[in-house]
Amino acid sequence: MRALESLRSNVVQAAILLVIVGLFAYEIDTKGETLFFQLLVNGLTLGSVYALIALGYTMVYGILKLLNFAHGDIYMVGAFIGYGVLSAFGGPVNPSLPVWLLIIVMLAAAMLGAGVLGVAVERFAYRPLRDAPRIAPLISALGVSFFLQNSALLLFGASYRNYDPFDLLGLSGVHLGQVFIWKARFLVVAAAVVLMVVLLVLVRKTQLGKAMRATSYDREAAAMMGIDVDRVIASTFFIGSALAGAAGVMFGLVFSEIFHFMGFLAGLKGFTAAVVGGIGSIPGAMLGGLIVGCAEAFAQGYANGNWSDLIVFGILILFMLVRPRGLLGSPVIQKV
Amino acid sequence: MRGKAGIALLVAGIAAAVAVAVAAAATDGSGRVHASAASAATTSGCSSKMYFGLAAPITGPAASLGQLQLSWVKFAVSSWNAKVKSPKFAFVQGDTQLPNVAQGIKAAKQLASDKRVWAVVGPAGSQEVQDTFASFKAGGLAIVSGSASRTSLTDGSRKGYFFRTVPNDSVQGPTVANYIASKLKATNVYIIDDQEAYSQGLADTVEAALKAKGINTTRDSIDQKATDFSSIIAKIPSNTNVVYIPWQLSSQAQNFGQQLKAAGKNVTLFGSDGLFDEANFTIPGSYVSFFPVNTKAGAVAAYKAAHGGKGDYFGAPSAAAAGIVMQAIAKACSDGKISRAEVRKDVATATIPASQSVLSVTVHFTTNGDLKGGSFGVWKIGADGSYSSVG
Repeated sequence: MRALESLRSNVVQAAILLVIVGLFAYEIDTKGETLFFQLLVNGLTLGSVYALIALGYTMVYGILKLLNFAHGDIYMVGAFIGYGVLSAFGGPVNPSLPVWLLIIVMLAAAMLGAGVLGVAVERFAYRPLRDAPRIAPLISALGVSFFLQNSALLLFGASYRNYDPFDLLGLSGVHLGQVFIWKARFLVVAAAVVLMVVLLVLVRKTQLGKAMRATSYDREAAAMMGIDVDRVIASTFFIGSALAGAAGVMFGLVFSEIFHFMGFLAGLKGFTAAVVGGIGSIPGAMLGGLIVGCAEAFAQGYANGNWSDLIVFGILILFMLVRPRGLLGSPVIQKV
Repeated sequence: MRGKAGIALLVAGIAAAVAVAVAAAATDGSGRVHASAASAATTSGCSSKMYFGLAAPITGPAASLGQLQLSWVKFAVSSWNAKVKSPKFAFVQGDTQLPNVAQGIKAAKQLASDKRVWAVVGPAGSQEVQDTFASFKAGGLAIVSGSASRTSLTDGSRKGYFFRTVPNDSVQGPTVANYIASKLKATNVYIIDDQEAYSQGLADTVEAALKAKGINTTRDSIDQKATDFSSIIAKIPSNTNVVYIPWQLSSQAQNFGQQLKAAGKNVTLFGSDGLFDEANFTIPGSYVSFFPVNTKAGAVAAYKAAHGGKGDYFGAPSAAAAGIVMQAIAKACSDGKISRAEVRKDVATATIPASQSVLSVTVHFTTNGDLKGGSFGVWKIGADGSYSSVG
């Protein structure tokens, strides 16, 4: 019976994959390879941002089994911190620091600020509810999300802020055949890759990473082994939120405009990416982010701007139905 | 001990948050007092000082346009108060934060429930008019918009309540299409709407007019909150001459234009009246359609003199709307008694002669609330980002 179910599931997944490949083949045939590669570049850039957001979701879920719906708003706060630093150092037209140094300072400030905010959110909104029913911290997370959005609205106003990246970085880029890659996109993808590699090294090679993995397997056992679980959880929130803060700055550098409500949809897409990749899996979150970013870019490019969000969230539903553990997640084993 | 300290810290944090929230509740982000937090004392009749409401995006993504409307309405009020002994006027602001629908409705309800307010200038956006009309109508208020141009707003369903001091899109659309066809001589036009009522209506009109002239058109759309245009830009065929963007948010259009340039696409950008924003939409070589503002009018010259030489033309029709509203309220008060119904009737019959108007036509309305006469013009953005009239 189980074998039959597994076979059916594999057949459905294979069929879906075939349909997708077929659709791509058709679009490349009718609209050309240049558009395909241009959309791929766009998708990888956007996907890098979503991957960094997804990492925060997946790390927190892995340890606490909590979906931190305030995570998207921490990304928004990071974007505003980056904007504040940019303005403090003279703005995009005449910065008082070399551009490369200014971007590093913006990223560092956003990561630090977002990280501290993440730790504060965990301390005041989630830790007191750690032993409460699962719904309680979820509701608290939603409350924190609205709190952060409206705090940003009060503090910064409803007007959009513009990073003006074209003034800061210029318009130059690289032409690969007929595909144009603006240098800001290289920057974002490279920075995202560096951060993801650092995270992987931290999780796999350091004491803290070992403690995080142990806590995610069994929190009680980890505590009994002498691991300071509260500290590990706080560190996880710091790291996840710092990555989201970095994502906020990167978004501003490529897509210019930031506003108080930007975290809502980005957070949902980051969550989708985490689910697609396998919630709780760090490499899964990275892969999921790239897939969601590319799906959005291809939907906009091959279909219509109206369809992109529909397709992205359709993917979420599809994965929940067909492959709920995601691409790289572990199957859930229940004791019967 | 540690637990008690933690609880104390938590309580202190919550207390601080509540204090901030209470302080913020009394003011909006700019420190101004909302209509609802204003003095509870209201007037229900005529007095030497009368009020109207201004519904505009004072803050938010479209704030650059709302601020121009606010500036021109302030100018119109101060000009009236300098010339007319009684009544003097002041206005109550309702910040609609276009495109925030919920905020727009909230602002409309605040103005409708403020008994000092006898009519409203605004709202700015066509979608806003659709969203807030029920609230204004419930309050019996006449609303006179200085920028909402969607044609269907004056289809008769808002007769007697909604008026506008700008021509509608059935004038703007053919103007744009004629210019694209005859002056720019385009053969392939890519039209991108922002999924809002104003944008879709105008895009439909222009698309139909261009097709009727045998011009090849492609239609696409983006979300009004979108900031990543890379994929849609990648889709634009290489033989496209003009990209038409009837959007409301000038900063979004500026972002789009820059991304278009960064992608190496050499196309001409053509925006609608919602993008007439000299501060924020400055892509050189672009075109924008605009209302019939008389840039040589005495009032316009006086405004420019008082504002460092800046015309801020987008706000000028709102000044005309304010003039109509003040005229109607003053007329309603001529017998010492006033009601919102009476003000509505007087708005419908009010007139500002062309010689006294900031528009190049006499300001008066059709039975459905449209501006009688009036045409749209086309402006070009120069290499230095300045706007000049070209048609």
